[in-house]
Amino acid sequence: MMRDRAGPSGAAVTVEPPATTDFDAIVVGAGPAGSAAALELARAGHSVALLERGPFPGSKNVYGGVVYGRVLDELIPDWFERAPVQRWITRRQTMLLSDERSLTVDFRSQNWGSAPYNGATTYRAEFDSWLADHAQQAGAVLVPSTVVTSLLRTSGGRVVGVRTDREQGDLTARVVIACDGVNSFLAKQAGLYPGEHAEHTTLGVKETLALPKETIDERFGVSGSDGVDIEILGGTGGVPGGGFVYTNHDTLSVGLVLGLPGLAKAGLRPEEILAELKRHPSIRPLVRGAELVEYSAHLIPEGGYRTMPRLVGDGLLVAGDAAAMCLAAGIWLEGVNFALGSGMYAGRAAARALAADDPKRLREYRTLLADSFVLADHRKLRNAPALVLSDRVQQRYPGLVCDLVEGMFTVENPAPKPGLRRLLRRSAKRNGVGLHQLARDALTGLRSFG
Amino acid sequence: MADSGSGPLVVVAMRWVDTHARVDALTGRVSTDARGAGPSEADRCALEHGLRIAQAAAGRCVAVSLAPEPATDMLRDALACGAHAVLRVDPGHAAGAGNTDDRADSGAATAQALAQAVRDELGHPDLVLTGDHSADRGTGATPAFLAAELGCAQALGLVELSYTDGHLVGLRRLDRGRRERLAIPLPAVCSVEPAGVRLRRANLRATLAARTATIPVVPSDPAALAAQPVAVRSVRPYRPRAKELPPPQGSDPRQRLLRLTGAHEEREPPRVVVTDDAGRAADELLDYLRGKGFLA
Ligand SMILES: Cc1cc2nc3c(=O)[nH]c(=O)nc-3n(C[C@H](O)[C@H](O)[C@H](O)COP(=O)(O)OP(=O)(O)OC[C@H]3O[C@@H](n4cnc5c(N)ncnc54)[C@H](O)[C@@H]3O)c2cc1C
Repeated sequence: MMRDRAGPSGAAVTVEPPATTDFDAIVVGAGPAGSAAALELARAGHSVALLERGPFPGSKNVYGGVVYGRVLDELIPDWFERAPVQRWITRRQTMLLSDERSLTVDFRSQNWGSAPYNGATTYRAEFDSWLADHAQQAGAVLVPSTVVTSLLRTSGGRVVGVRTDREQGDLTARVVIACDGVNSFLAKQAGLYPGEHAEHTTLGVKETLALPKETIDERFGVSGSDGVDIEILGGTGGVPGGGFVYTNHDTLSVGLVLGLPGLAKAGLRPEEILAELKRHPSIRPLVRGAELVEYSAHLIPEGGYRTMPRLVGDGLLVAGDAAAMCLAAGIWLEGVNFALGSGMYAGRAAARALAADDPKRLREYRTLLADSFVLADHRKLRNAPALVLSDRVQQRYPGLVCDLVEGMFTVENPAPKPGLRRLLRRSAKRNGVGLHQLARDALTGLRSFG
Repeated sequence: MADSGSGPLVVVAMRWVDTHARVDALTGRVSTDARGAGPSEADRCALEHGLRIAQAAAGRCVAVSLAPEPATDMLRDALACGAHAVLRVDPGHAAGAGNTDDRADSGAATAQALAQAVRDELGHPDLVLTGDHSADRGTGATPAFLAAELGCAQALGLVELSYTDGHLVGLRRLDRGRRERLAIPLPAVCSVEPAGVRLRRANLRATLAARTATIPVVPSDPAALAAQPVAVRSVRPYRPRAKELPPPQGSDPRQRLLRLTGAHEEREPPRVVVTDDAGRAADELLDYLRGKGFLA
């Protein structure tokens, strides 16, 4: 007797190699990575099943965030005319928070408010469904409310399908693409992850706060469908991580990304830290009077390049968060476009391998990724996650910068104005930062971001 | 008996609703999202009963819905669970308007449109099953209207339903914990509460087959939907009526104001009963109610 709802099991199931398969390819997870992979495969004329555990794509996803469009240009050329967009990001802020102070770098560009656009806020329930619709229209078969519980493997280790939590739930294919998101148990079952990676995982918590559109426009200084993306360093109650505020049409997404080990050590509850963030003098005026309509939490793989698993197995490819491809480097939190890109290349490589009937050609996935922004950005920023989540960047630099700027802007005449060097020395000392260390971190930052 | 001449024709009428609809507290405006929509728990139970009865009576179970295009997935799920056929009756208005449309609120119009489509497409049903009332603004009137339309017996709000040896038997909850057992003659319309049974989970093969099956659609009878006994014409914020109070006596404005606010009046402050002993708390509450004259 099968359980009514089964979770993933620990080990792959060994089966005889099937004489014929149900589908050419099975994609697990209808997030951005999965739908992009299924879309590519279906367009290439292959039969593909897209399995999703939620009742519809996006139903399990926590996110009212920013999706950047350039990768979509390749996947769905006129995406910006049809995608379910909340607002186009025309104003981008990076905010350093320390105690009651903040320093914000505020950039706006009306260029981003017209085609081909740069970034947009969207609701994942809408965006993922829209993308999965494209895959379905191209011929992929979406099977929702179905949890994949294990891989089917031959005794030789070749992946030939998946087992699901439904009765008669085994499904076979010539290729399986794991797009099952963070903590991919499929990639783990296939032995592609070398070890545990809780320390490279953060917890994203997010509130959706409803406010009238006019109030949002007024508070954030935008109008029409223009929107704002604020990325925050600090404000995490001492836990390594960061925060964000995004404007949607008539809601705000306010949230935090918190390193798991730091959160466990601090013994704080994420919703308390979020409440504290909303009380900060720089955030409070933005969220005042808003009505909470949703609270949600989800894990994010933030380790980047150094923590990625092997991307290709025998009959298996891994893409998106399942392959730790979320780029989290302080001023950037981009997972969707990396998921879209890697899913697209995984689908493309699988389609070519299927067409050539040569499983070895699955390895081209790695080459396609290496030639694209997906691995190029991750490789370039491989040191960024460690730097950004370091104690110094998290705890000391926001205070140092706020001290420095406060010193610059505080008028103390008749005392003469202090020089910048003196102010820097004073702020560094106050915040327990050695100037050598500061220079070293600046160099690492320059190498990563420069 | 159904036209098919085999077993009985069991029709399950399923309403497609957004069970997570949001209501604007100020205007009462309901916003729905087609993605999270589906049958209510009672409708799911109705389908399970329909499948069981059709199997026991060697008949056919057909799931029918008066709903817009996005409801197709609900009917696919019914097929995957074992319905022999499905039918979508299209209300014939802008896609997605579905549940927010006033016409869907009219049990009479819904019943008329469903009955017409079922008669035209499937023949006269032996048994029609529905949930007891729809999850969105449902009054529970549709099954009764359906019975009237089809000229059937009706047994509404059942908590149990079984078919043995050619007999349909239902159990209904009555007030004060009593139950009523009914022998239901066919043809009948029965509505069921979300109790007793749970809709089976479709197996993967059937689910895959249903994903690509063609779902038949017929337009609803325009005359049926023209009958609109209830229509919401506008929504406004709820404003309670002003409470009329006698004007305060006296000519001193301060005293009048004080009297108006009741600031200096004797009154019992509100009290919170905090005790570990539930019995004592209950006694205290009862004493209070007795003291106020609410209990004899
Ligand atoms: C709070 C928060 C804020 C974020 N903000 C941003 C942002 O602003 N911009 C940005 O680009 N990124 C952001 N991200 C990151 C982004 O959400 C992810 O990087 C992205 O969703 C990864 O896409 P994916 O397709 O790889 O995985 P997912 O989106 O996680 O999709 C995986 C899918 O697989 C399904 N699934 C999982 N296991 C199974 C199984 N066993 N069987 C069947 N289905 C399964 C899931 O239900 C899900 O639909 C944010 C993340 C969080 C948590």
